[in-house]
Amino acid sequence: MISQLFVLSQRGDNIVFRDYRGEVQKGSAEVFFRKVKFWKDDEDGDAPPAFNVDGVNYFHVKVSGLLFVATTRVNVSPSLVLELLQRIARVIKDYLGVLNEDSLRKNFVLVYELLDEVIDFGYVQTTSTEVLKSYVFNEPIVVDAARMANLGPAAIFMQGTKRMPGTAITKSVVANEPGGRTREEIFVDIIEKISVTFSATGYILTSEIDGTIQMKSYITGNPEIRLALNDDLNIGRGGRSIHGYGSSYGSGTVILDDCNFHESVQLDSFDIDRTLTLVPSDGEFSVMNYRMTQEFNPPFRINALLEEAGSFKAELILKVRADFPSSITANSILVQMPVPTYTTRVSFELEPGAAGNTTTDFKESSKRIEWGLKKIVGGSEHTLRAKLTFTQEPHGNITKEAGPVSMTFTIPMHNVSRLQVKYLQIAKKSNSYNPYRWVRYVTQANSYVARL
Amino acid sequence: MSGHDSKYFSTTKKGEIPELKEELNSPYKDKRKDAVKKVIAAMTVGKDVSSLFTDVVNCMQTENLELKKLVYLYLINYAKSQPDLAILAVNTFVKDSQDPNPLIRALAVRTMGCIRVDKITEYLCDPLQRCLKDDDPYVRKTAAICVAKLYDINAELVEDRGFLESLKDLISDNNPMVVANAVAALAEIQESSSRPIFEITSHTLSKLLTALNECTEWGQVFILDALSRYKAADAREAENIVERVTPRLQHANCAVVLSAVKMILQQMELITSTDVVRNLCKKMAPPLVTLLSAEPEIQYVALRNINLIVQRRPTILAHEIKVFFCKYNDPIYVKMEKLEIMIKLASDRNIDQVLLEFKEYATEVDVDFVRKAVRAIGRYESIIATLCESLDTLDEPEAKASMIWIIGEYAERIDNADELLESFLESFPEEPPQVQLQLLTATVKLFLKKPTEGPQQMIQVVLNNATVETDNPDLRDRAYIYWRLLSTDPEAAKDVVLAEKPVISDDSNQLDPSLLDELLANIATLSSVYHKPPEAFVTRVKTATQRTEDDDYPDGNEAGYSETPSHAAGASPPNSSSSAYGATRQSAPAPAAPAPAAPVPDLLGDLIGLDNNAIVPVDQPATPSGPSLPVVLPASTGQGLQISAQLTGQDGQIFYSLLFENNTQTTLDGFMIQFNKNSFGLAAAGPLQVPPLAPGASARTLLPMVVFQNMSAGPPSSLLQVAVKNNQQPVWYFNDKILLHVFFTEDGRMERTSFLETWRSLPDSNEVLKEFPGIVVSSAEATLDRLAATNMFFIAKRKHANQDVFYFSAKIPRGIPFLIELTTLIGNPGVKCAIKTPNPEMAPLFFEAIETLLNA
Repeated sequence: MISQLFVLSQRGDNIVFRDYRGEVQKGSAEVFFRKVKFWKDDEDGDAPPAFNVDGVNYFHVKVSGLLFVATTRVNVSPSLVLELLQRIARVIKDYLGVLNEDSLRKNFVLVYELLDEVIDFGYVQTTSTEVLKSYVFNEPIVVDAARMANLGPAAIFMQGTKRMPGTAITKSVVANEPGGRTREEIFVDIIEKISVTFSATGYILTSEIDGTIQMKSYITGNPEIRLALNDDLNIGRGGRSIHGYGSSYGSGTVILDDCNFHESVQLDSFDIDRTLTLVPSDGEFSVMNYRMTQEFNPPFRINALLEEAGSFKAELILKVRADFPSSITANSILVQMPVPTYTTRVSFELEPGAAGNTTTDFKESSKRIEWGLKKIVGGSEHTLRAKLTFTQEPHGNITKEAGPVSMTFTIPMHNVSRLQVKYLQIAKKSNSYNPYRWVRYVTQANSYVARL
Repeated sequence: MSGHDSKYFSTTKKGEIPELKEELNSPYKDKRKDAVKKVIAAMTVGKDVSSLFTDVVNCMQTENLELKKLVYLYLINYAKSQPDLAILAVNTFVKDSQDPNPLIRALAVRTMGCIRVDKITEYLCDPLQRCLKDDDPYVRKTAAICVAKLYDINAELVEDRGFLESLKDLISDNNPMVVANAVAALAEIQESSSRPIFEITSHTLSKLLTALNECTEWGQVFILDALSRYKAADAREAENIVERVTPRLQHANCAVVLSAVKMILQQMELITSTDVVRNLCKKMAPPLVTLLSAEPEIQYVALRNINLIVQRRPTILAHEIKVFFCKYNDPIYVKMEKLEIMIKLASDRNIDQVLLEFKEYATEVDVDFVRKAVRAIGRYESIIATLCESLDTLDEPEAKASMIWIIGEYAERIDNADELLESFLESFPEEPPQVQLQLLTATVKLFLKKPTEGPQQMIQVVLNNATVETDNPDLRDRAYIYWRLLSTDPEAAKDVVLAEKPVISDDSNQLDPSLLDELLANIATLSSVYHKPPEAFVTRVKTATQRTEDDDYPDGNEAGYSETPSHAAGASPPNSSSSAYGATRQSAPAPAAPAPAAPVPDLLGDLIGLDNNAIVPVDQPATPSGPSLPVVLPASTGQGLQISAQLTGQDGQIFYSLLFENNTQTTLDGFMIQFNKNSFGLAAAGPLQVPPLAPGASARTLLPMVVFQNMSAGPPSSLLQVAVKNNQQPVWYFNDKILLHVFFTEDGRMERTSFLETWRSLPDSNEVLKEFPGIVVSSAEATLDRLAATNMFFIAKRKHANQDVFYFSAKIPRGIPFLIELTTLIGNPGVKCAIKTPNPEMAPLFFEAIETLLNA
C-alpha cells in the first residue's frame, strides 16, 4: 500500500502532499527530487519509474510537466502504483478541465478531497470520476483554458477544422457551463500511434500500431451506448494458422494482435457482430486498446541520400512522400537526423515555394539537423537538400556515422489500421433527444525511423 | 523603502492568525467555510496553524459535508500535536458515526482511524463495530480498512474486540468493494502477524474468485494478490483456478494483467498436462506484449517482469523478439531492459536478426546504451567477423578499445586480424591512451598466435611507438615488459600474455536458480522490478518510524504493555519468537539461571501480546529493560562506553538489538553504526536511533536490518564486523557472530513427503555430519518447542536402536532449505546432527546455530 502521494512541479515545488500512513519521513519529496534531478549527474538517461532510497520506494510518472509521486515501504505491485498515478492525473483533469500547476494550486482543497476518496490508508478505493462525483463536494474553479499547455493526442482537434468544438477536451466533466446548461455531447476518438522502421533500402523492417478508442461523455442520464466496429475484425494472429488459409484474408480485413477493454464494456455481442455495449461513465477513459502488427501502408516514405562531396564536405538529400489521399493533410511534421560528430556547418537549400511552410535548423550541440513542415498534403513529395562541412576526413563509410532519420507527425481524420467505428448508437430517451456525437480519427508517429 | 515593505510584511504575519480566528467564529456559514479553507491552505504550505485547533473543531458540528470534510482534514494533521484538544472532537465523531447520512458515518470512522491518539482510539471501537455491520456498503468498506488502521495502532484491541472475525465475515459480503477492502485489510494484518490470520481455504478461494468478476479493477488486484498465496491441491484444481483467472488478461488495467499473469504462472507449476501449459503460454504472450504499448513507466515494470518470466519459460515470447526492438524515442531505462531481454531470447533461429539490430544501436547517442549493445554483441563469438566490419565506425574510445581487445583475444579465429590491427597502427600516436594500450596488447597477442612476417613487422612498429615515441609511462612500461619477455623467452611470454582467463560471470547472465524461484514467486511486486528478494529492501517496521517520530503518547504504554518488567528479569527474552533462545551466549549482567524447559505455551501467549512493545525502539533514555544482551564492546575497551548487542529475528524481520551504557564522565551523542561486508549482506535499514547519553545513562534500541545489501565474497562466515562512532570518542570496532537461526523463515515447514523427496534428490556429498558429545537433551518436548520457536520445524521421529531420531526442516532467505536429522539418547550426553542442503558450505554456520539452540 501507498504511504504518501505528492505532486511536484518541474522545479521540484511541492504542489500537493498527502501522507496516508505516517511511516515515511516528511522530507521524502526533497529526497525524491534530488535523486531524480541528479540521476547520473546529467541528462544522460532518466531515473527509472521505481527506485529505492534508504528503505523508501519511490514511484513516479510525468504527466503534463508535473511529477506524480508515491512512496511506500512494502513490496507493492508496481504496476498498480504507476497505473494509479496516471489515473489520479486523469481524474484531476476530469474535474479541473486543465491539468497544470496553476489549476492544481487554485483547486487544492478539491484535490485533497479527491485524494481522500481515491485512497484510504494507502489502498485505492476508486478512480472512477463517475463514482467520485457522489462523494466529492467541492466545486472546481476552472482556470483559463487559453493558457494551457500540452493536452495529449486529442489536442490536435483544437487546431483542426472549425466543425470541431474546441473547448471539448478542456471542459470539466463536473463544472457547469457558464450558461448554466451543459451541452449533450459525446466524443469518441480513435487514436493510433504508429511505429515503423525502414531499412536503408526502404524495406519495412518492423511496423506496429498502438491504438486506443477513447471516450469522453457529457451526456446526462447515462444511457447505454453501442459502438460497432468493422464486422470482419479479427483478433489474434494465431487465428491465421487455425484457419490455415493465410491468403484468404482480403485486403479489407483488420487483424488485431491483441486488444483489451475498459471494465464497463460488455462484450456479449462482440464475438458475434463486433459491437461493444457500455454505459459510459463520466470522465475520459479508454474503451478499448488494441495492438496490430499486420502490414499496413505507412503514411510517409522517407528517402535519404548522404554522399561525400569533395574533401571535408558531404551532400544530403532528404525526401518525404505522403502516401495518403489528397483530401487529408498531415501537420506538425518534424524530420530529424543525426549527422557525423565532426560536422561544423550545414547549409540548407529549400525547394521553391516552401518558405512559409518550412523550417530548418542544425543543432550544433547534439549534431542533429531538424526539418520542420507545418503541413503536408496527401500525395505530395517534399525535398530538402543540405551541404555539410566537416572538420576532418570521414573515417570510412559516412552513412555509418549519421542517421537514422526519425520523423514525428500528426494526421487528423486518418487512421492506418482501417479499424472503424461504423456507428455510435445512443439509447434514446425520447424522439427529440439527439445528442452531438463526434467520432474522430487521428494518427501519430510514435517511433518512425528510416535507417541509412 | 525597505522599512515600508517589512512593516507590511510583519503586520500580515502578526495579523493572520487572529484574523482567521475571528472568521472561524463568524456567525455566517460561508465565511466559516472560507476561513477553514484558508487554514487548510496555510497548513499545506507548512505554516503552523495549530493554535486555531479549538476554533476549527468548533466548526465541525455542521451538516455541510464540504465544511465537515475540511475540518476532518485539519484534525488528522494536528491531533497528534494536540492530543488533549483532540478529545474535544470525540463527541462529534461518535455522534457523526451514527448520522443518518452514510457519507458522514463513513467519514467519521475513516477519520478517527487516521488519528493516532489513544483517547480517540478507545472511542473508535464502538462506532467501528457498528459500521462493520452497517446497511450501507460505502460505510462497510470504509470500516473494513479502518480495522487495518486500528491493528496498526493497537493489534491487541483488534483481536480482543473480535474485529478480525467481523473482517472475515465481510469476505462473504454481497458488495464487491467491501470484499476487496476486507481482503486488503486482512492481507495487511497477516503481513505483520506471525500467526495464521488470513488463511485461504478452498472455500474462500471459490468465494473470492466469484467476487473477482464483479470487483473494480483495483479490487481485482487486491484479490488476485491475496489468492496468489494459495497453493492448489492438485493439477485439476490449478487448472480450474487458471481458467477463472485467464479472462483478466483482457483487462485494460496493467496491474490486473500482471497480477493475473503471476497467478497463472504459479498455478502452471502444478499443471502436468503439457498441452494445457502450452496453451496457457500462448494465451499469456499477447497481453504481455500489449503491456509494452502502455506508458514508458509501465513498460519498464513489464520488461523487468518479462525478463524473469522468459528465464523460466522462454517459449512464451520466443517468437516475439521483434517487439523488443528499441524505438528511437524509448527512454533509456526502457532501451536497456529491452536489450537484456533480446539477449535472453536470442537463439540460432533469430541471431542474425538480433545482431543486425544490435549493430544499429552501436550508433546511438547514449553512451551507456552503446556500450551495453557492443558488449552484448561480444557475447557471441561466432559473429566476431561480422562485427569487425563495423570497426571503422567506432569512435567512442571505450568501444574502440573493447573491439581491439576482441581482435587480439580471438586473433586465431579472425582471418584478417592482422589487416584490421594494421589499419589502426597508422593512427597509433593520435589514439587515446586506453586505445593505445589495447593496440599494444592485441598486437602482441596476434604475434604470439600467428608468428608470421606481417605481425612481426607490426610488433616492431608498435613497440617502437610505445616506447621511444610516447611519454605515457603506463604505455611505455607495458611495452618494455612485453619487449623483454618476447626477446628473452617467447614461451614464457605466451604463458603470461595468453594466460587462460577466469570465466567472468556476466552481469546479465541468468539469475541464480533459487533467487529466480523467489523472484518468480514475487512477479508483479517491487521485488520483480528490483530483481532482489523482498527482505533485501522491505523495511517497513510495524511501528518504528511512527512511534519514534512523535513522542506524544503520554499514557500510551499503560494499556497493553504493562507486562514488560516482569519479563525483563525472566530468562526467556520476550522480544521475539524466533530469537527467544538467542540470548544465551555470555551475557553481560549474568542472566538468571535459565529455567529449563520454559513453559512454552505461556511464553507464546505473552509474545503475541508483547509484539508492539518489542519493536518499539526504546529510545526513552535511562530505562533499559528487556533481555540481557552479550557484551560486544566491554567498557574497558570502549573507554567507558559499553555496548552489548545481538541479532534477533522477528516476524521475518531481522533486528540488531543494542544496549549502550555510558560509564564515562561526559555525555555521548551522535551515535552512528556501520556494518562491514558480510556473508549475508546484513546492513542497517535505517539510521541508528540513540538519544544523547548522559554519564551513567544507558539506552536500548532495536535497529531494523536488511539482508543481501553488502555481501562479502568467499565462503560463508558467521563473522559480523561492526563499527560504532559517536561525537566524543574514536570509532569503536567490534566483532559479533551471525547465528544462522535468526534467518530461519516461517515458510520453512516441509511436508513429510516433500522432505523425503528432497532428501533423496540431494546427492550424498551434500550431507554433512557433526557430533556434539557434550550436549544433553533432557526433554524431547521442550527441545522441539524451542526449535519450533526459531522456525525449525519438526517433521517426524523414529526409534533407532535405543536412540531417538528426529527430523526437522528449516529454510533461510533465497529459499535455501536445510533438512536436519538429530540423533540422541534422551537424558544422556551426545547429540549427532546430520544435515542435507543444496548449499553444504553453510553447514558450519548451521552447526554453530544448532549448538546454541540445543545448549539453551
